Amino acid sequence: MKVLALLCAGAALAAAQSLDIDFFEKKIRPVLAEQCAACHSAQLSDPMGGLRVDSREGLRTGGASGPALVEGKPSESLLLKALSYQDPSLKMPPTGKLPDAVLADFRTWIERGAADPRGEAPATAAKKQAGPGTPIEEGKHWWAFQPLQTHPAPPSSRPGWARTKMDAFVLARLEQNELEPSPEADRRTLVRRVYLDLTGLPPTYDEIEAFAADDSPDAYSALVERLLASPRYGERWGRHWLDVARWAEDHPTSEATNQPHPFAWRYRDWVVEAVNQDVPYDRFLRMQLAADLMPGFQPEDMRALGYIGNSPMYHKDPRLSRDVIETLASDDWDERVDALSRGLLGLTVACARCHDHKFDPITNKDYYGLAGVFASLWLVKRPIVEMDPAAADKLVWEHERLVRLKGMSGNLGELDTIAEELHPVVARMKEEVAELKERLDKDPTPLTHAVIDCGVYIDGSTPTVTFFDLRPGEPRDLPVFIRGNVANTGDIVPRRFLSVFADGEPEPFRQGTGRLELADKIVGPAGPLAARVWVNRVWGWHFGEHLVRTPSDFGTQGEKPTHPELLDDLAARFVANGWSLKWLHREILLSAAYRQSSHVTDAGQSADPTNRWLWRMNPRRLDFEAWRDSILEATGELDLTAGGPSAEADESPRRSVYAKVSRSRPNRVMQLFDFPDVTQHSPQRQVTTTPLQQLFVLNSAWMQARAEALSAAAGHDDEPQQKIRTLYRRTLGRNPQADEIDLALSFLAQRQRELGRPAWAEYAQVLLATNELTYFH
Amino acid sequence: MPVPSPSASSFLQPPRPLSRRRFVESLCGGFGAIGLAGMLAPQLAAAPTAGAAPIGPHFAPKAKQIIFLFLTGGPSHLDMFDPKPALLKHAGQRPDSANLRTERMTGGLLPSPFEFRQHGQSGAHVSELLPKLSGVVDELAIIRSMYTFNPTHTPARNLIHSGNIASTRPTLGAWVSYGLGSENQNLPGFVALSPSSRGGSLWRSGFLPAEHQGTHFDNSQTDPEQMIQYLRNERLDASAQREQLDLLQALNREHRADAGEDAYLDGRILAMETAYRMQFEALDVFDVRLEPEKVREEYGSTPFANGCLLARRLVERGVRYVHVYYGPGQPWDDHKEINSKLRERCPDMDQGAAALIADLKRRGLLDETLVVWGGEFGRTPVSEAGDGRDHNPYGFTMWMAGGGVKGGVNYGATDELGFQAVENRVSIHDLHATILNQLGFDHERLTYRYAGRDFRLTDVHGRVVREILA
Repeated sequence: MKVLALLCAGAALAAAQSLDIDFFEKKIRPVLAEQCAACHSAQLSDPMGGLRVDSREGLRTGGASGPALVEGKPSESLLLKALSYQDPSLKMPPTGKLPDAVLADFRTWIERGAADPRGEAPATAAKKQAGPGTPIEEGKHWWAFQPLQTHPAPPSSRPGWARTKMDAFVLARLEQNELEPSPEADRRTLVRRVYLDLTGLPPTYDEIEAFAADDSPDAYSALVERLLASPRYGERWGRHWLDVARWAEDHPTSEATNQPHPFAWRYRDWVVEAVNQDVPYDRFLRMQLAADLMPGFQPEDMRALGYIGNSPMYHKDPRLSRDVIETLASDDWDERVDALSRGLLGLTVACARCHDHKFDPITNKDYYGLAGVFASLWLVKRPIVEMDPAAADKLVWEHERLVRLKGMSGNLGELDTIAEELHPVVARMKEEVAELKERLDKDPTPLTHAVIDCGVYIDGSTPTVTFFDLRPGEPRDLPVFIRGNVANTGDIVPRRFLSVFADGEPEPFRQGTGRLELADKIVGPAGPLAARVWVNRVWGWHFGEHLVRTPSDFGTQGEKPTHPELLDDLAARFVANGWSLKWLHREILLSAAYRQSSHVTDAGQSADPTNRWLWRMNPRRLDFEAWRDSILEATGELDLTAGGPSAEADESPRRSVYAKVSRSRPNRVMQLFDFPDVTQHSPQRQVTTTPLQQLFVLNSAWMQARAEALSAAAGHDDEPQQKIRTLYRRTLGRNPQADEIDLALSFLAQRQRELGRPAWAEYAQVLLATNELTYFH
Repeated sequence: MPVPSPSASSFLQPPRPLSRRRFVESLCGGFGAIGLAGMLAPQLAAAPTAGAAPIGPHFAPKAKQIIFLFLTGGPSHLDMFDPKPALLKHAGQRPDSANLRTERMTGGLLPSPFEFRQHGQSGAHVSELLPKLSGVVDELAIIRSMYTFNPTHTPARNLIHSGNIASTRPTLGAWVSYGLGSENQNLPGFVALSPSSRGGSLWRSGFLPAEHQGTHFDNSQTDPEQMIQYLRNERLDASAQREQLDLLQALNREHRADAGEDAYLDGRILAMETAYRMQFEALDVFDVRLEPEKVREEYGSTPFANGCLLARRLVERGVRYVHVYYGPGQPWDDHKEINSKLRERCPDMDQGAAALIADLKRRGLLDETLVVWGGEFGRTPVSEAGDGRDHNPYGFTMWMAGGGVKGGVNYGATDELGFQAVENRVSIHDLHATILNQLGFDHERLTYRYAGRDFRLTDVHGRVVREILA
């Protein structure tokens, strides 16, 4: 009896709930959607006032002004207050007061408990609460900060498809979405894909044919191994890292205090070598921040410090005030914090420069804890050979003194802008500059752009000139610059790592600058995140799309992974396998998912046009480097000399990784073909297709010269068909089809009639300009 | 090498070998059409040559083309078009009754130091900063009740360009190119003129096919060969180039047929055609120095002025959409020293924009050309850093002219402080709906199917502001 009563009560309750939900669906939800969601929805990265009305939770949590509704209490619910237009500062919607009947519905709905069946809004990446920042403890629950763990491979209805463990996760997703994987690509497609992917160079005709003919079971894995061992591999994958590191050889401008970096190439060479040697990724990162402080340091390792040593810097005219100079310096520190946090950790820490991060668990103090590391080091040239430490130190500081004196005396040299008592000082500076320059120009010690530990202070005690006061052995803890203003300082924050990775209050760094400790934190407590971010980047370079499609934002404003368990499992095993990039390549390249054909299927295209679930391989355009190198290889001009100083891309036959990269005068061809903006970290390459690019392909002297070289390299034209075949093999790695030969002969005959001589170069240019050459799939 | 005339030289080409033509036709019927269109002078080429046939207008359009004058950074409506005597009355005070909060710390009310007068038959209030635009107010529909949804530059710029805060959706120019196709096969349908190439994402095509992406030209240059690299082929004349390109495109089409559906491959085939045609038109079209001295004087000679003049030359030749940026950077972001900075920056903007209106009108082009003026948001009535103004997305001014918009209209109003739009409010989506309407599109029906659903420039919003239409 009792049981029955309970059941009845339960049923009545359920019925009432269903009525309430019905009321919500009919009366409330449409109004929220039509009148409010445009400004207050999780679809927006920054919903106004932090309020989201598109989920049950969003209304209850509310926004900057507090919860939008209190169940059962209309009079305490801000939502109703706003709708009723009573408060002059809170009238919603701003387009005009809603009809009284609608207000009455809202009142009724809230009185009856504000029934709301909606879950978290779809595609939501919005914050859990409004106001400044997510509290640290709550923020620790974010998926990207969780310890890495391996997952069992999901069971599959297609036994035998999976080749490496990651395939099981891909297949599970495909099956959930009722999609089928594509068959394996044909061997000629596959060999081109793997060559371009691993080395940035296409295979030659002979290499393609050899692979196509090799039916041994391990032909493919042997190919992968051979390419991973090729020096060309490090040139390709080192270049990928250089994008992350926003590497360049000068600064956005080049005035006296921020002259170009003549030895920046040494860092680039170190990166290429390190990638070729498969230096474990954790060590690779640590070396770039603190190679000189690590056990087993070799003088050549100093080159790794170019990651910070080649950072962009802004000119600081000594005539400017202390506050202005400090602002410029703090912009430099900000750039390092941004490049490091987005590049290595997928976190937008620079958002916390003026206030706590609005969406992620990063505090204003976290920012200054990190920025302090960069305020405790200085960009200098350092020797890369074994030297007496005192002599090395002297050399470093003499070089630095020369740069600074030159800058100072240059800017102060405009004597009428400075106080008269400084005139003799400037004269003495100029003398010293001349003396130093002569001596140092003769010094044969090879140098690289690195950092040295010293607190960076700004001396504004002289009214007309501002000096940098560099204090070796005295690292600088920064105060909070309130709202980013250097003239308005708050508490001093000890140099330290982000709180979200600490148990309780983060420990201050204690060893010198804290560079090595910072590096250890990144690969230690933040290691799971660093590994996820790196694995995701590598995935994107292999597949053309990332698992997390915002590769430099793993915070709440970024995208979530399409395959969370796959990313977690892959990152966990990457770390377990010694952070080995080559291990990661093997896992991905040997997979069935990677070997899929790129052909479009109707089912795939209609269900998943952006290929989130990987029902096929993504076809891709070659990036600038691979495209240019492909052309130079086809023409036989490619110079494979490794390393050394850079040359302009359109003036040198060397691989594109050795092209000059400038922040102040970006190479226009590289810009045209989507080389990233190196004044800041760039999350990924863009792919644009413009008529201006095609003008280069059709008209530039560079392309015409390549066409001449190609025609010459393809030999005599006694046998036109033979020459056409050679040209096809060199450019596209295959033999021409019969109709293609007909087209070629017809074109050549026509031009011969018009010109009175053969037009092989015009024809060769066509092959260099084909879509086929710019593309792989 | 003489500048080849595409019509003459290509018509005089000898007939091609039959086998080849047959081969080309067998590959793809559409290709022959493109090749042919390329040989015709623009006025003869009736059919646009976008990859897919353009949607075409839903109803008879009032405007055939658009020039959007964009003042990057957020120009101050309070110092140009929206006088507020209350600011002077309560200068320095901060009324408790109003919520004037924006991102940054602001102080008391900052009156505009610029004198406003009524102008034209419409009696529109315009400040002394804009003497030339004051002279053409009767052509303008001034909307003083604009509002947008985000107070930060990048998202707000995305909003006004694409209707969404993300940097991924197609921009207005791309939608127009998608809807209307290109009227002139020798030029891109969507052109962005900016002294900096860094704003690339503002002329993106997003998920629309790549051929609708805007093509950028540097309007700080006046020599087309400086402005457009590699414009001239030093070796081949037009007909030789055409033959070379026909061969290339035949190979590309065949490759495309094997590779299957692919936006990049299609986009590059079309970009190649546009590039070919551009080189003949561009030397002339992009050279503002070919304009009579009088006209150049009327516009002025700054990058923005040249941009305005170039925009006129481009729409005259059938470019559908020209976006002229006052840049580089975001010069109208006056967080401080607004009074002196506006005085420096307004004259050339005023002169260029007013000259454009007058010039279009004289040439009978204003009726069919919609000119839109504005920035990503306005500025606050309260001061920042003493004599600056912070970002204000809640209320600001834009104007439109020509293209079926009523001249001499003053529409909407902000509150008495000029902070919030209160009367006849016009959102960014409403602006987009109105622009599309003038081009003959129902903004609710101009859609593109992507990722499983139909997308619109106006998403689920937008109202055509009929009150300002002729």
